[in-house]
Order: sequence, then structure tokens, then C-alpha cells
Amino acid sequence: MQTGSHNAFETAQKQFDNAAEILGLDQATRDLLRTPMREFHFSIPVRMDDGSVQIFKGFRVQHNDARGPGKGGIRFHPLETVDTVRALAMWMTWKCAVVDIPLGGSKGGVICDPHNLTPRETEQLCRGWVRQVARNVGPVQDVPAPDVMTNPQNMLWMLDEFEAIHGGKYPGFITGKPLGIGGSQGRKEATGYGVVFTLREALREMKIDIKNTVTSVQGFGNVSQYSVELIEKMGGKVLCVSSWDQSEKKSFTFRKASGVKFDELIGITDPFGGISRAKAQEIGYEVLPGDAWIEQDADILIPAALEHQVTADNVPKISKRVRIIVEGANGPTTTEADEMLKARGIFLIPDFLANAGGVTCSYFEQVQCNTNYFWEKDEVLGKLDTKMTSAFRAVHEMSKKRNVGMRDAAYLIAVSRVAQACRDRGWV
Amino acid sequence: MQIDADASADVARSRSPVTTRWLNSLAGGAECEGKGADHAPAHDSMRSISDEDVLGNIAQFDRAFFDPRQRFKHVGAGKLGGKALGLAFADTLLAESFPHERFPDVEVSIPSLTVLCTDLFDAFVRRNKLDGLALDTLSDEAIAVAFQKGDMPAEILGDLRALVEQVKVPLAVRSSSLLEDALEAPLAGIYETKMIPNNQPSADERFRRLVEAIKFVWASTWFRAARDYLRATNQSHDDERMAVIVQEVVGRRFQDRWYPHLSGVARSYNYYALGRVRPDDGVCNLALGLGKTIVDGGISWSYSPAYPANPPPFNSPADLLKQTQTTFWAVNMGKPPAWDPIRETEYLVECGLGDAEDDGALRLVASTFDASRGRISPGIGAMGPRVLDFAMLLVLRELPINDIIRALLATCSEALDSPVEIELAMSFDPARFGLLQVRPMAVSRDRISIEESELDAPGAIVASDRALGNGKKSGIRHIVYVRPETFEARHTARIATEIEAINLRMAGAKEPYILIGPGRWGSADPWLGIPVAWGQISSARVIVEAMLPSMNVELSQGSHFFHNLTGFEVLYFSVPSENARPIAWQWLERQQAIEETALVRHVVTQAPLDVRVDGRTGRGIVRADASGVRVTDAGS
Repeated sequence: MQTGSHNAFETAQKQFDNAAEILGLDQATRDLLRTPMREFHFSIPVRMDDGSVQIFKGFRVQHNDARGPGKGGIRFHPLETVDTVRALAMWMTWKCAVVDIPLGGSKGGVICDPHNLTPRETEQLCRGWVRQVARNVGPVQDVPAPDVMTNPQNMLWMLDEFEAIHGGKYPGFITGKPLGIGGSQGRKEATGYGVVFTLREALREMKIDIKNTVTSVQGFGNVSQYSVELIEKMGGKVLCVSSWDQSEKKSFTFRKASGVKFDELIGITDPFGGISRAKAQEIGYEVLPGDAWIEQDADILIPAALEHQVTADNVPKISKRVRIIVEGANGPTTTEADEMLKARGIFLIPDFLANAGGVTCSYFEQVQCNTNYFWEKDEVLGKLDTKMTSAFRAVHEMSKKRNVGMRDAAYLIAVSRVAQACRDRGWV
Repeated sequence: MQIDADASADVARSRSPVTTRWLNSLAGGAECEGKGADHAPAHDSMRSISDEDVLGNIAQFDRAFFDPRQRFKHVGAGKLGGKALGLAFADTLLAESFPHERFPDVEVSIPSLTVLCTDLFDAFVRRNKLDGLALDTLSDEAIAVAFQKGDMPAEILGDLRALVEQVKVPLAVRSSSLLEDALEAPLAGIYETKMIPNNQPSADERFRRLVEAIKFVWASTWFRAARDYLRATNQSHDDERMAVIVQEVVGRRFQDRWYPHLSGVARSYNYYALGRVRPDDGVCNLALGLGKTIVDGGISWSYSPAYPANPPPFNSPADLLKQTQTTFWAVNMGKPPAWDPIRETEYLVECGLGDAEDDGALRLVASTFDASRGRISPGIGAMGPRVLDFAMLLVLRELPINDIIRALLATCSEALDSPVEIELAMSFDPARFGLLQVRPMAVSRDRISIEESELDAPGAIVASDRALGNGKKSGIRHIVYVRPETFEARHTARIATEIEAINLRMAGAKEPYILIGPGRWGSADPWLGIPVAWGQISSARVIVEAMLPSMNVELSQGSHFFHNLTGFEVLYFSVPSENARPIAWQWLERQQAIEETALVRHVVTQAPLDVRVDGRTGRGIVRADASGVRVTDAGS
């Protein structure tokens, strides 16, 4: 999913190099951590409903598992590349470390467009993916989860295939399962809520009342949806969200001057996060071009769609009013844009801190599955909040102490924890 | 402190500087000055202050519960509710006006607390669609269960989690409703409070128990007693909102129990002043253990702060032994009880004095009865039955507790420009005095005059020189009374149910009535009186405690119950069995019955009754001669 000249893995490596330099890491540790420990590239044959067989290209990248079993989602996307998956696996390592959960970083993907797959074909793809890596993943090795355009049903098919291969019950193999079949309460809200928990702490530091804020959000997938929902519950105003239109193959921004309403939008949104333009207009939403979200007169921007959405090209379009950017998506800001935002004094909550709620809840799910004892939603979200808040405060403290930006501070904490684990194990 | 209507205009009721500063700080300065009519008591103006203003002056919960600089914090942006507002006031007052220097060895403060504002209750109800519950068809248990099933608002879960991760002492989860403890509509004691031990090793477990307790207190907003009460008082259930106070429980751990060495309720005005004690001397009730003993109307030690060494009028030391506290309430810190999140006393345990003695908790609160000499000696140095008379504190002044109480009553009364009631708890070693509540007491401004001779004049159905309240009631024709000839203490729970049904009908018809019965109304102990909650008798405007030979106990002292009585200006008569002016039971029997059972009779008189109480003298009378009915057995 490289866009233009940007390569997500190069961005991730630059960010790591910067942190390694500040931390003064030795060369061996740098070499170990700037590339994945293992990669699996494979082909998945699927017999389609029309009788033909299609070969899909799949990946699983395990960046580092010094702190525990790998953890990371599986993405189904037509523009998937292994470099994107590598970058995301590396970010997972840092993400698990920054919120201090005992997991490493992995990521997987399949180059495909789920919009064009029937449910049976999707099931075959899911089962095929597991068949290719069944020996290299598992509850004590590497634990997958849903990600871009994969869902709880997909996870259940994968779990079923894994258990069939290994001849046992392994609910801790995969997270993001449906409720009642090993899923955790609060999982669907977790990433979006985590984004808002960190936003709330940032606002508290800046002494801004969320009730007096306006937010503009890119995307309306799972992260964006529950970010919008919680901001609304806390009394904040979300001015607009953007959403991908599958038929037009481009995105649109949906704006309402009085504030978008989660309940209104969710009722006209498809399972992939696509908002119906016609229905949105009927209930009073303005439909603007897809990149209009970044130009809005808002206090807070939440890019919660894909990588490389905030670039050197569009940073100048960001309103002077914007005080905070919360990276709901993974890698939404390019390195150049990052520098420009710093120069403008915009407070940025980096992706692997802001959206760590999802993996934190996945960790909770795994703990529940491994003990076969499931918690109430209140308990899950309470723990999630304290984890996210503690992580934010630690990063913010580091940022002040070392006089660096939030992203660098988060990297310093995460990289030093992972490097220490590698040293403790005697790897370096 | 009774206020004559004529005289009130002459009295410049200037607000104390402390209150003015407090109100100004809460209301934003000049505006409050303008509102603060100098002739209005402070609490009148308190009602006009917006909660937004108050919240702006109270720290937001920053995940640090125990913070000596800021003991009062809040979560959410709604309203604080009456009780929390009172505590906010108390906190300010203690910081600004209380003479701490006089008590260097005692820490006087409010216990640390965090208030969950009413907007969180609203969000919980709305998001869980609880506002759609068909309340009238559901039992309290069903409502409580529906609340337990609801998800807490996600935005406060982290705060609650952080709270239990750092706090491992018992917590009191207390109601603080919009209407509760407000002077106009006292709801004290209508809603539930839940104590939780909060000592489980697992933070998960502590978190679950705290969440359950909060949901339970929220649910109590809609319990039947509260709904009936609001209906009876012409208030809309829809207007009610509940904030919740999460507060540390003052006390110490003794083995498997946690309790304060003493708890108490003190009032700056004594409606029952006897002998040389003047009403303005106030009255205080002390008990060992949690305040539940006093609040529920159990046996406690009652004395006048002006004469702390004077015991109550008991006939003999042996009598005193029988009429003092023998059990107390504590938080159960031991083996977890059967899980029952919808029971208020889930984590409470009632213990005997022997337990407290084992705990070493009686040294300063008990005396010892020497049977051979028939006298009581302060302290527990000698062997013998223990008597909870607090003589070590009140007579020998081992700690200046009475001086602290007097100072607090004076400070609060001055600041609020009104008689006040305070709730307190204290633990020793080190000495810590926790101020749990401050609320103004309501007084009627009518000037009523009843001569003693009038009490003995013909036509009196009830006459007493131990009446409570002030004012007159006209237009009452209904009387509900417990039949003395069939009364037995074992029937009190059944009687409560029957009276509740009558009250509901009277509330529906908006008809006030006089309620007459034996023992303490509102006692939690069914052997001491009729165990009604206030909501069950809420349409009664005159209440008579008729002491029968089969139930001859001390006067009603239930603090919350009492507050409702005075707040609604209910007139209260106490007629001891030795009274020279007994109730006209035979006359009552002759009245036309609207409904009657073997235990309770509801009658209506032909013409309205004449009811009056002179608060200055404590004389009160219910007369039938206004109806033209001749009362032949009155006084016989």
C-alpha cells in the first residue's frame, strides 16, 4: 500500500534509527531491530464460486518476539505490499512495548479485495492463509488479529482451521473473535476508545475542555467509529468524518455543522466503513471531497484511515486552529510532514501509542482465553483506560524530560524496552 | 432558634464572611453578592448557585484519591447533588473558619472523596436504555438487577480502576441526589448507601465490587420507596438525578472488622430540650461503630453538648445498662459474604460489645457497671458489664471530642445562618475526626402559643409537652392509628405494610393525615417501633409516638427520618405511657372507619381537626372541638 514515493518500511526504519541514535544503541541491536526476525511469503490458492482457481499472495512478518509471542493483525487489501507489512510489524513491536504488554510485533496480509469476494471465497482465503503458516503461528508463538478489512468472522474461520490442523482447542491462537466464542467484551470499541483516552489526557495537559473542541476525523472504519462515539459521549463535537466509496473508488468527507452523530452515521454505513452518500445527504450531511477532512476549522485532527495521509503537500492546508493530531491509523504521517507539524507546534500523539488500545484489548482477550474466564465489559474498558493513560503519561513525561516530541519519546520508551529484552535474553 | 414571623424582619440576618466568600467563590463573585439578600439564610442562596459554578471550583479527579491538599474531587460535569454540595461546603468551612489550632492533637477534616456527577447517571440510564423500564411493574430487586446488567459509561471506567488500584481501605458509596438533603425537599435516608471492604488482594475484584455498589446506589433512585415518596410530595421522578459519592470510611481495622471508634449526629437545635437544657444548646447522639446505628434509629448515647457530663434521665444504673448500645455495625473485612450486590448490608456485620472489647476499641467509649455497688465507673479498668456512655471522653475529656462538636456546630450554624445537623465519625490512635455531612435544619417561622392549661382542656385528642416542630395544621380530617388493644411488637412489620398501602391511597388523593402508633416510627429495629421508611408514611403531616406499656422505648432519634420530618414541617408528638394526658383511644374508636384491619384503623372525622405545636415550649395539641365533636374520654 505504498502511496506515491513513500515507503512505509523506510519511514519506520528512519523513525527507529532516530530513536536508536538518541538511545545510543550498539550496532548489533540496531541491526537486529531495524529488520524483521522472520518473514513468510506464500501463495494461497482459492477455488472461486465460478469454478476457477485464483492464487492470492499472502505474508506474515514477525519483527521481534523478545518480549513475548508476536502479535499483529491480518490485512486484506488490494494494494498490500510486503514493505507495508514489515513496517506495520515493526510498529507492533513498539506498540506492545510502549503500553508495556508482554508481546512482540508481527503483521500479516493478503493482496486481495474483499469487496469482490463472496463469503465462501473469503472463508477459503482465511483457511488457506492459516494452512500456509500454521506451524509458525500459535498462542505461544505469534497471535493474529483482525485488521484492515478483516473481521471477527474471519478470525473464527482461521481459529477453526488452526484447531483442525493441530487437533485441539486453542482459543488463544487468535484474537478479535466474536463474543461468546472466545471474544472479549469491549474489543470492538477498544482501539477507538484508546485513541480518545490518549486525546483526553493530552487535552488535560493542555487544560482544554473537550466540550469546547471541534474534531475532524479521516475514515469511518472501526477505529474512527468508536473514536467518534466516545468523543460524542464526552461532549466533544466531531465536525466531519471521511469514508471510502467502493463504487466510486475514492473517498468523501461527510460534514455536519452541528456535529456528526455516531448513531446516525452507523445506520447508513456498510460493514467496511463506507457511508452511503445519498442517505447521508438526506439526513443533512454535506458531502465534500475525500481530502477535505484535513482542511477543516477544527482543534483536533484524527487521521484514522490509512498510511501516509498527512504529507508535506497537505500540511499547509491544516487550519491554524488545529492544536492536536491523534494518529488513529498506523503511519498516517510522513517523516517530512512530521517535521512540519513539529515546527507548527502541533501536539502529536503518535500512532503506536494512540491506537494501542486494540492490541491491549487483544492481549486481554488472550489472557481471558488462556484462563477460560471472561470479564465484564466494564472491567475490560477500565483496564484499557488505565493502561492507555499510564502509557500516555509515561511518554509525555519522557517527552518533557528529554525535550523531544511525543513520537520520539514513545520510541525511546518502546525501543529501550525491546532492546533491554534482547540483551536480557543474551541475543545481543 | 425558632423564628418569629414578626421578629424575623427585624433581625438583620447578615451572612457570615466565610459563607459569603464560599458562595462568592462558587457563584463567581459579584453575581452571588447580588443574589445574597441579607435577610435570607445562606442556604436559600445556596440553592440558586449553579453546579457548573461549583464544579469550576472543585478539583477534577486526577486519579489521586488521597490528596491531603484536595480531599474533594469530582468526575463528570453534571451536578453534585445535595449531599456532595454539603460536603463541599464543609470542606471549605474547615479550611477557612474552623479553629484547628485549638485541637492540635486531632485531625479534623472531611474524609477523602470523589463525586461521580449526575451526568454519569444520565449517561448510564440512557445508554443502557433503562429509562424504558416499566418501573411500576418491577420490584426493587428487578430494578437493581437491571442496573447491575448495564454497562458503566466508558469515560469513567479508567478513573474507577485507578481509584481501586491505589485505595485499599473500605469505601462508602453514598447517594447524593438532586433532591436529597435540599432543604425544600428532604430525601435524607430515602436512597441507599453501600459500604464495601475494598480489601480484596485483586484490583479486579475491588473494581467489580465498586462498580456493583455504584450501580446499586444509582438503582435506588428508582426504588419503590423513593418513587412513592416523590409522588407523595408532588415531585416528579423524572426530575430526580443521582450523583454518587465514593468516600473513604473513617475507622480502623480490627481483626476482620473495620469501624470508627465512634460515630455521631449532632444538632445545634434540640427539639426535645428537657430540664435546664435549652433548645439552643443542641443535642448529640454518639454510637460505637458505623453511623448506621444512629441513622436507623437504634440505641445510641444522647447528650447535650452544653452539659456533656450529664447522663440522660435513666432511673438507675441498671436501667442505663439496658438502655445503652449493645451492638454495633462494622464493615466485614473477613471472609467474603454470599454475593448479593443488591443488598445494602452485603458487606456489613453487626457485632456485640464483646467483639469491640476483644478489638481493644472500648477504652475511651465504655464504662463499667459495678453491680456490687450499683454504680458505673468510667473506663474498662475493672471487670464487669460494659456501658457505652462515652464518659472517658465526655466526663474525663481524654479527647476534646465535645469541644470539637461544639466548635463545628457553632461554625456551621454561623456560616449557614441556620441551625444545622452534622454527621461525624472518629477513630483514635491517631485521633482523627471525620466530618461526614452538614445540613441546615428547617424551622417554621409561625408563632404559635399554647398555654399549659390548654393541654388539659376538654377536646384534646392528643396533648403533649414533648411535641416536635412548630406551626399549625388545619384541614386534616383523616387519622390512621395502630389499634392499641391488638398491638404486639411482633406485628410491627405487618403494620408497616398495611400503613404503606393506606399512605399510597392518601398520597393519590393528596389527603394529609395524622398517624398514631406505638414506639419509634421509622425504627430499623421492628421491636422498637414500626419499621417504616419515610416514603411509606410520606403523606402523614402529623405523627404521634404513643408509648404503650407493651412498647415503652426512648424517643425517636433516627437522624434521617427526623430530617424529613422537620424538612416537611411534619408535627411530631411523643406521648409517654406515664403521660397524664393519654391519647383519646375511645374517641378514635367511635369515629367512622374508612378501612380497618385487626391492627390498623383509618378513620375520618366529620370536620377538620385543630393541630398546633409551639416549638418554643414543646407543647402540642390535636383538638377535635373545631369539628364540633365532643371528646368524652379525652384525658380520662
